[in-house]
Amino acid sequence: MRTKKLAIGIGKAIAVVAILVWSLFPIGFIVMSSLKPGQDIFAVPPKFVFSPTLQHYVQLWNGWGVFFGGLLNSTIITAGATIIAITASTAAGYVYSRYSSRMLNASVMFLIIVRLIPPIVVTLPLFPIINAIGLNDTHIVLMVLYATFFVSLGTVLMRTFIDQIPRELDEAAQIDGAGRMTILRRVIVPLAAPGILAVAVFVVVFAWNEFLFAFIFTGTNAKTAPLVISEMIGSIDGVDWGVLFAASTVQLIPVLLFVIFMNRYLVAGLTAGATKG
Amino acid sequence: MSDKLLNLTRRSFLGTAMGGAAALAAGQSFAAGKTLNVLSHKVHQTVLGTGDGDLLKDWKSANDADVSWTTFDSNPLQDRLFREASLSSTDFNVGYMVDNRPTKQIAAMFEPLDAYLQKDGIEDFEDIAPGLVQGMTVDGKLIGIPVRHATQGLFYNEALLEEQGISAPPTTLEELAEQAQKLTFTSKAGTPVAGMVLASDLAVFPVMFARAFGGDFINAKFELLPNPEAMEKGLSVLRKMFETGALPRSYATTKNDDQVTWLQQGRAAFTVLPFARFAQLNNKEQSKFPGKIKAIEFPISADLKGKMPMSSIVEAWGMVIPANSKDKDLSWKFIKEVSSKSATLGMAKNGNGPVRVSTYADPAMSSNPVAAVEAAVLKNARGAFPPFPEAARAQSIFLEEVQLAVLGRKEVKEAVASIATRVKPLLQA
Repeated sequence: MRTKKLAIGIGKAIAVVAILVWSLFPIGFIVMSSLKPGQDIFAVPPKFVFSPTLQHYVQLWNGWGVFFGGLLNSTIITAGATIIAITASTAAGYVYSRYSSRMLNASVMFLIIVRLIPPIVVTLPLFPIINAIGLNDTHIVLMVLYATFFVSLGTVLMRTFIDQIPRELDEAAQIDGAGRMTILRRVIVPLAAPGILAVAVFVVVFAWNEFLFAFIFTGTNAKTAPLVISEMIGSIDGVDWGVLFAASTVQLIPVLLFVIFMNRYLVAGLTAGATKG
Repeated sequence: MSDKLLNLTRRSFLGTAMGGAAALAAGQSFAAGKTLNVLSHKVHQTVLGTGDGDLLKDWKSANDADVSWTTFDSNPLQDRLFREASLSSTDFNVGYMVDNRPTKQIAAMFEPLDAYLQKDGIEDFEDIAPGLVQGMTVDGKLIGIPVRHATQGLFYNEALLEEQGISAPPTTLEELAEQAQKLTFTSKAGTPVAGMVLASDLAVFPVMFARAFGGDFINAKFELLPNPEAMEKGLSVLRKMFETGALPRSYATTKNDDQVTWLQQGRAAFTVLPFARFAQLNNKEQSKFPGKIKAIEFPISADLKGKMPMSSIVEAWGMVIPANSKDKDLSWKFIKEVSSKSATLGMAKNGNGPVRVSTYADPAMSSNPVAAVEAAVLKNARGAFPPFPEAARAQSIFLEEVQLAVLGRKEVKEAVASIATRVKPLLQA
């Protein structure tokens, strides 16, 4: 019995280590390579002991100023998309939670269908339309697109969170003379804040890393960081791997920190409604 | 707690939104009155220099115009260019197009430049390599002005050759195969060395091997496998290299960038790359063999040596004007300036493959150790195959059959016959 328990324990430990290595190795490789002298990045056998250098970060700063512009664009677009997605998802989640009708029930299916559509299906036909209305290469077009693709998931999440808020609180506020918007703003939103943050985590991670929409709809003014990184993997003049890894590290850090800080809300979002009886 | 969180979040979001709006507004306020929008790869922008070294400085002040560059990597760039050109109008005035793309359908989306050339000619236009001009001519209409080329050469690691007692690089394809075999060893540094490293997902390499025997995949007259025996001989050499380990076991997954890193790290003795990669391969910050990696013309087979020149592969870029763009006169003025002798030389100094024959003769090019050999190779070089609508599918079929043959999964003769059967309908279409 004891041996069996020990074997299970060892098995679990091995599984955890394997998952950690599998998940962390690429990140570790990128960060380490960004600090290695260029000659050592692909050395055979690999060099794990080396003199760290910031030369690639200096080269990134000097030679790829457009990358930092891309980071600024990514920040603006991510913030905008998050605000739009949260606002729409919270309002829609409230409606789905507190009201019921045939139309509303049928529209839930629409939310699911939206999630099932591959982005490329809508992306290319949208290109001439976006171009015709003069929104190509603007921040707003990406904000709206990113938000659109997350409003359905956000709505479902927010509905689950709002379902957990007792309706009696709405009724008490109503008796005190509060209208629907006031109830939503003063009662529901503060209590559903963890849900809002969970939705924010999903949108931020998606918007920060997204490539396809950014590639189709931006050029210069709204070019995001992932797009600049893709240019670094240039097929004409060769890849400067050190600079590429430095850029990847800079691109990775903000979203990694954000996810670490918001981790508990992300878990809350993933498990929302799981114990609803 | 939740309320506090919410208030903080709301404020910070509002702050960010206002900041974003301000940034947007600032961006617009800096926009120039007359702007030429160019769609290119970053390298096309880089070679024109910046600041005091800006080759367009005088042109900008003379025309009271600024140049706004939108850059993408090669394939995304071509996708975007064609998508922009297919709209009713585009803001892009000039685009950069690679010479294996202009089919009849694509050429129709761009402005024919013959009239511009007649009305307001480019300085000494005949000096631009005729083969490159031909690559930008579709149905007799010139649709692009060549601006950059990348011609393939054979790179070798001189230190590894010396280590194995080889005093000179190969002069025939047979010698190359023999030396590659000898250079498949473990070096003094303990690094396992492959004689030759080649990417398996590019048609360039098998076509070069076929051309060394006088063959081709699809020639300029759209003849498919004009000399099948030559293709068989070329693929047989590659197959033998793989069987003996001179091509690494990872051949099927080797990419273009691996060729660079393998040569820089001393993991391979030979590879085929554009001459323009010479500086990168010898960059002391990246390479373990700076100054030891040399380049020569890819050798022809012993039977053909001295009888005909080796026709290496060249890929060229040209500047085009989308037919739906605005201010085409300004676009042409830009093209004219970038094509001038001084700009071509300036770009060449910045690492651009010059399209003018005279540029190679300029004393300023003497500091480039591969300029002379590149110029000689360029004379006889041509594209891997001409552009046609089904070229991408044809290339992928070609590569599939080549890989099967090289990896020993199919007889070489059978693979070449399959290429002929499967690609023929695509060519006819």
